[in-house]
Amino acid sequence: MKVFSNAETFNYSWEEVSTANWRKYCPWNQKSTHVVAVDTLSRTVDPETGILRTERLITCRQSAPDWLKSLMGGSMDESQVYETSYVDPRTRTVTMVSANLTWSNLINVQETVVYRPLNGTQTRFEQAAKITALCGGWQRIKNSIEDTLVKRFRENAVKGKEGFEAVLAMSRRVFAEEREREKIMMLQAQAGNIRMAAAA
Amino acid sequence: MSQSLAPECNEIKERYDTCFLKWYSEKYLRGIGTTDNNECAGLFKEYSTCLQGALKERGIDKLLEEAREDNKENDTALMGKKKCKLSETRGLRQR
Repeated sequence: MKVFSNAETFNYSWEEVSTANWRKYCPWNQKSTHVVAVDTLSRTVDPETGILRTERLITCRQSAPDWLKSLMGGSMDESQVYETSYVDPRTRTVTMVSANLTWSNLINVQETVVYRPLNGTQTRFEQAAKITALCGGWQRIKNSIEDTLVKRFRENAVKGKEGFEAVLAMSRRVFAEEREREKIMMLQAQAGNIRMAAAA
Repeated sequence: MSQSLAPECNEIKERYDTCFLKWYSEKYLRGIGTTDNNECAGLFKEYSTCLQGALKERGIDKLLEEAREDNKENDTALMGKKKCKLSETRGLRQR
């Protein structure tokens, strides 16, 4: 088993980060192109705790190394990940746990991501992944498979941070524009009321 | 928004995602209507029906069942705080 871990700080509030997190893999993110689809499978709010639980299916397309492909005897380019996330509004924590659906007889990948507020304007991101090759046989092959995936995690984490920064910046801009539009509409409506009152 | 794995579900997915994001940022995070996102329920049902067909076609539904089973521990740890307390009190009473 190998472990990959990573932590980042985003200069955005937890509210902004947890909202933008839902569209982390949208076209605004031009870095994490290996994620080709994100589907929501279920979504519920626990009436007692207020925790929002979401199940998603993440579809990735990323080519595997040639030696691994020949070992498996086929293309390994498309893979799926099952993700369950829990938003706790009371502790202001987002926890996301993911497991690989594809090649689960060969390898087991368990990833946990947590977003917590550091303060009013900063959010901490913590990521940990446990990677275990399950195939019987040579330890050397298992090690190679695990090392390949750890390397892949490291590369994707760098791209993920850059891509998410872009999504956060864009979200802030869009929300600000929306608020501005709402303000203008309200002012126009008020001006209209004043004109009507003056005419009457 | 991101794509669906089934292109035929893209349109309804986009509508649902937009509805959810609005509910999440304007209501859920502000503690309004936290019981459920009912205003998006109709869209979700439509999207889900489309998606379920696609998952079955690709054989993903079976894999998901196993993954859900494996995730039960996480569910208890991250959702079932109340349940733990209940079983604790029951344990105490038995003693």
